[in-house]
Amino acid sequence: MSPASQPEIPLSNSGRRHFLAGSVFSLSGVALNYFAGQQRLSAEIPKAPSLVPQVFDTLPKPPHHEPRAKAMISLWMQGGPSHHDLFDPKPEMTKHDGGEYPGDLKYDDRANATSKILASPWKFSPQGECGMELSELIPRTGEIADELTLIRSAHTGVNNHGQSITALNTGRILSGRPTLGSWLTYALGAETRSLPAYLALIDPGQLPVMGTENWSNGWLPALYQGTVIRPQEPRILNLDVPKHLQGEPQARALELLNRLNQRHLSSRPGHLELQARIASYELAAQMQHAAKEALDLSRETKATQEMYGLNDPACAEYGQRCLIARRLIERGVRFVQIFTSNQFWDHHGGLFKSLPLACKKVDQPSAALVKDLKQRGLLDETIVHWGGEMGRLPVIENDGSRDKIGRDHNTYGFSMWVAGGGFKRGYAHGATDDFGYQAVDNIVTHADYHATILHLFGLEHDKLTFLRNTQQQTLTDGQECRVVSELLA
Amino acid sequence: MRILSFACCAVAVCLSPILAAEEHVRPEASLTFEKDIRPLLQAACFQCHGETDEVGGNLDLRLRRFLVQGGDSGPALVPGHPEESYLLDRIRSGEMPPSGSGHPLSAEQQQVLEQWIAASAPTLRSEPETLARGLVISLEDQNWWSFQPVQRPALPPVTREEQIAQPLDRFILSRLEQAGFQFSPEADRRTLIRRACFDLWGLPPTPEMVREFEADESPDAWEKLVDRLLADPHFGERWARHWLDIAGYADSEGVTTTDPERKWAWQYRDYVIRAFNANKPYDQFVLEQLAGDEMVAPPYKNMSPEDIDKLAATGYLRMAPDGTMASQLDIDLTRNEVIADTLEIVSGGLLGLTVECAQCHEHRYDPIPQADYYRMRAIFEPALNAKKWKTPQQRQLSLYTDEDRARALEIEREVLQIMDVRKTKLEEFLNRNFQKELDKLSEEERALASAARPLEEKDRTPEQKAVFKKYPSLAITAGSLYLYDKAAADELKKIDEEIAALRQKKPEEKFLRALTETPGEVPPTFVFYRGDHHQPREQVQPAGLSILQQVVPGEIPENDDSLPTTGRRLAFAKQLVDGRHPLTSRVFVNRMWLHLLGRGIVTTPADFGRLGERPSHPELLDWLAAEFVESGWNIKQFIRMVLLSRTYRQSLSSNPEYLAADPDMALFGSSRLKRLEAEVVRDMILSISGRLNTKAFGPPVPVMSDPVGQWVIGIENLSAGRPGPVIDMKGEDLRRSIYVQARRSRPLSMFETFDLPRMEPLCEQRNSSTVATQSLMLMNGDFVMTQADACARQLQAEFQSNTDAIIVRLWELIYARQPDQSEQADTRQFLEEQEATLAARAGKEEQPRQQALANLCQILLSSNEFLYLE
Repeated sequence: MSPASQPEIPLSNSGRRHFLAGSVFSLSGVALNYFAGQQRLSAEIPKAPSLVPQVFDTLPKPPHHEPRAKAMISLWMQGGPSHHDLFDPKPEMTKHDGGEYPGDLKYDDRANATSKILASPWKFSPQGECGMELSELIPRTGEIADELTLIRSAHTGVNNHGQSITALNTGRILSGRPTLGSWLTYALGAETRSLPAYLALIDPGQLPVMGTENWSNGWLPALYQGTVIRPQEPRILNLDVPKHLQGEPQARALELLNRLNQRHLSSRPGHLELQARIASYELAAQMQHAAKEALDLSRETKATQEMYGLNDPACAEYGQRCLIARRLIERGVRFVQIFTSNQFWDHHGGLFKSLPLACKKVDQPSAALVKDLKQRGLLDETIVHWGGEMGRLPVIENDGSRDKIGRDHNTYGFSMWVAGGGFKRGYAHGATDDFGYQAVDNIVTHADYHATILHLFGLEHDKLTFLRNTQQQTLTDGQECRVVSELLA
Repeated sequence: MRILSFACCAVAVCLSPILAAEEHVRPEASLTFEKDIRPLLQAACFQCHGETDEVGGNLDLRLRRFLVQGGDSGPALVPGHPEESYLLDRIRSGEMPPSGSGHPLSAEQQQVLEQWIAASAPTLRSEPETLARGLVISLEDQNWWSFQPVQRPALPPVTREEQIAQPLDRFILSRLEQAGFQFSPEADRRTLIRRACFDLWGLPPTPEMVREFEADESPDAWEKLVDRLLADPHFGERWARHWLDIAGYADSEGVTTTDPERKWAWQYRDYVIRAFNANKPYDQFVLEQLAGDEMVAPPYKNMSPEDIDKLAATGYLRMAPDGTMASQLDIDLTRNEVIADTLEIVSGGLLGLTVECAQCHEHRYDPIPQADYYRMRAIFEPALNAKKWKTPQQRQLSLYTDEDRARALEIEREVLQIMDVRKTKLEEFLNRNFQKELDKLSEEERALASAARPLEEKDRTPEQKAVFKKYPSLAITAGSLYLYDKAAADELKKIDEEIAALRQKKPEEKFLRALTETPGEVPPTFVFYRGDHHQPREQVQPAGLSILQQVVPGEIPENDDSLPTTGRRLAFAKQLVDGRHPLTSRVFVNRMWLHLLGRGIVTTPADFGRLGERPSHPELLDWLAAEFVESGWNIKQFIRMVLLSRTYRQSLSSNPEYLAADPDMALFGSSRLKRLEAEVVRDMILSISGRLNTKAFGPPVPVMSDPVGQWVIGIENLSAGRPGPVIDMKGEDLRRSIYVQARRSRPLSMFETFDLPRMEPLCEQRNSSTVATQSLMLMNGDFVMTQADACARQLQAEFQSNTDAIIVRLWELIYARQPDQSEQADTRQFLEEQEATLAARAGKEEQPRQQALANLCQILLSSNEFLYLE
């Protein structure tokens, strides 16, 4: 963005330090904070080091090395999808179905725990040319098997939703740290100036566990907070016009505002700050337009809409969000995360009924997203991630009738998949033990995952730092980890 | 006994020339070493070439003589021959200063250096033969304007005597006249009242106040208004905000991600508000904040309200971000940071100097040797003792009286009895439920499990272990009881609630977040080599800044025998408010001037040193400082004086020649546009909507995350991070912004959008940006929409269908004036059209007229005339 393309902005009231004291230092914490960073002007070099604010913005920035990926869409499956029933077939369990599990397990819910092995009732079969074995519950995912890197050895090692989410989203089990999306936008900015750099698409249901911390900037400047796209109007708070004022009423209101401001200005000529504020309303109106356009799915062909399942009530809502994610990435957004509702995959009970329904909701749209990105030539530069904070235990929880049976938490070994942006195609990585309890082979921890993602974005996890309280902070925070090169194409 | 520092010795040497005038001594030269070159080299080079024991390349750059003499690589300077001067060569090639070690010289600075050498490198004075290591305090440093005693200047003459309302006007007008200008015309009354209410209250005037003021024809109408505003409790709330900025006030510790709350910080906030409202003299105000504890006899029990106030005041020295409770951090480092931040707050806020720059090395710009930093630190170390640290919890001072304590003990005894009952019940519940689980087992397994239950895991037989593994539900504990037997768990919960209710009956225990010394503990203070607390070097004694020794009387005792405490802070504070201190009064009157006129006489209010700006009106600054001290440090009297001045009462200049000649309006020949600060935007809107809750004082109004992650006012109600039902705030959400919790990790989104500063550790001066986010928040934001709606409802209730009356009222509420005819007509038309459009699309529930009115309120609240004061 060149300074020349900017509206005339502010003289503040402290003289020669106009720009320093005025627009440059501004950060704002609202949903739209990214714009603040898009609007700065070049600052006069100050005399005094103590007066130099550190300048933050979301302008594009070069990474440490040549990147493979430029954008990322994370499909966040909150609650912990059962890897036993979707991604990680275990013949050994089938043999011992109903028998006593031979080792020790960590339960979350002891009161309803048993040690009876529960083999998956769903069939697995090889998919695509690569022959990756996937469950019949996710047939559409099967169609994109050749695009996927399936990680069957994920591990965070903390058996609670909140902590495991925080580990995978912010690098540590303690809350309050910046999310992956915040780090990426802090490091790389975005390729758009009229849309936020980092967007979170939330479900119409309850917020996921950890609520708004899922897109928190932690102690990074508020500029790098994820901006929420809500499932209903106004879709982006402060950016979207309240419904009753959309269109003509708002135009009329802005017209009146402009008349008032112009009259006010005419008796105060030469006070540039007033002009700057008038211009800022024009810029705000442009942003409203850009966001509206990005969210308008009627601009997509019928074929595309159907590909995402927009014609199927079981998955239409989720499909819309996947399609919006693609449109956002196309327009230069850096990081998009789509959340399922609260504990959507947390099947402590009712597994046989709820799990197929959950799959139905996300299977087709998730696969469509990968196919669509590929056909548009965007997949090479866009990472798609699909996964939650945990998997499930190999034994029955809530023993009783078939309706009640479920599976308890397991963060010691579970599955997730990634595609595009430099990941291998048609590759399954790592393994859990014979009963799918612990990752035993080629374990990928949350820190490994982060180091690898950053690497594909051209960033080195130990060099991407933020100075806070005299300490250089990183996403991986000094934990033992590595770029998992086996995952890379 | 104060020990003269080596730096002071250096001054002495420097001042006594040893040689008769040499030919390079040419005080008339346009560039001289002392004036133009030495400051450049001090900033860029002295740290390695002169100030420390090891001199790089044996080249000392602190005197011209040493430059000519040179070091290992030969002479650094050949007077008259820039091209042969090694110094210039090394600097130009970018080799010096080495990257990362100092501030490289700019192209202009290099040019200055070259010209100086070309002119044969003149000096102002003769130079000494030798210099001690360390910072040289030169004559130029000693003569620096802000270190000179305040001297009341004579009032300058002006041509337009009739324009003088207050003596201070003469200083402004005489400068304006010299430049060929004069004051802008006086502002009209509604502008004045709006300005004064903003400056003294941070709130808009009510329409009634405006009318009354406009109708008052008495000659002292303005004076009466000013007095009324100064006497109102809102004054303290407005001015406390300014002070809390420089104290770095926060309701949380910061540093770690948990950002623990400071539950009692508000006691200090309330102290500050009370102090401004009571017009506490500034000298007293400073004394109490720096040393309130030393003015009260320990052990600080059963104290009088006055004594409590003094202890509350020391909260000032407890405002720095504080990570010393966090176990994951390096303890020594975090303690050291708290001390350093506290010193920064004191030096930036009270002294107007960046003393903290001398923490690691001699100050690069100001005559503050590194040892000075540690002498100042020694003043605070008996209370901020890094070796015997009081964590934020330990430093809380209970306000319980002996009587309160006795009553509380009594209640705790009752609690113990109930706890016994609870314990028995728990035992019973656990047994009962274990039995239930047993019933599901075979007889054989049952026997094994029963026998194993009292045993620890390691003492169980393999058979027993196997049963427990096979039936994980056998491992029932107090923590998991709720999963088995909800009724039982609920019963225990009820007992817990009973206990909590009983404890509620205890007299409320309030605390102060105070700073106190532990009698008898006086830690030694050392200079830290390169600021590294692991490398203590020579020991130093407490003292004020060396450069002020000659001007500021009094000594700081190591340990005052007449006090239970060391008396260090008390003595330091007394020096500050002695009246002869050249900085205290100048710095504070400059701040008050800044808040009232929108620009400081010194535009860098926290830096009166070399890197700061020089005063635009030095005589005025001194006159104000002298006047302030002589008035008995009377804050309200000072503010009153400024408000009554002609300077303050100007309108916004529309004179293009003046604006072109003085675009920054540094001559104060115009009033100034001031954008409402973050908190004021909110307070003003609440006041206009009629919903402001004026309740004063007490614990802060909490801040929580809304469903999309913005920080908003509200009581957090989360379960596993998910927002639960909204808890009614009972009007607390509508209180003034100064009472909103200032949690470092949760800056209210609305405030942050309007440039709320981050307290790291203090805010010297607020910034004001103009960005589209602000526009979007005003156009579409929840807060503004809600308040606009409330405002519209109220107007409709009051004036029903009388649209014209509503428009007039809105103009009065928001702009403090009446609309003119064309505005009235324009607005009426807008409302009609807007209502028609909205009616066409309205559902059953919606009221188009109400919506149109709310929309109008919102437009006015988004307009420049509302957002800017002039």
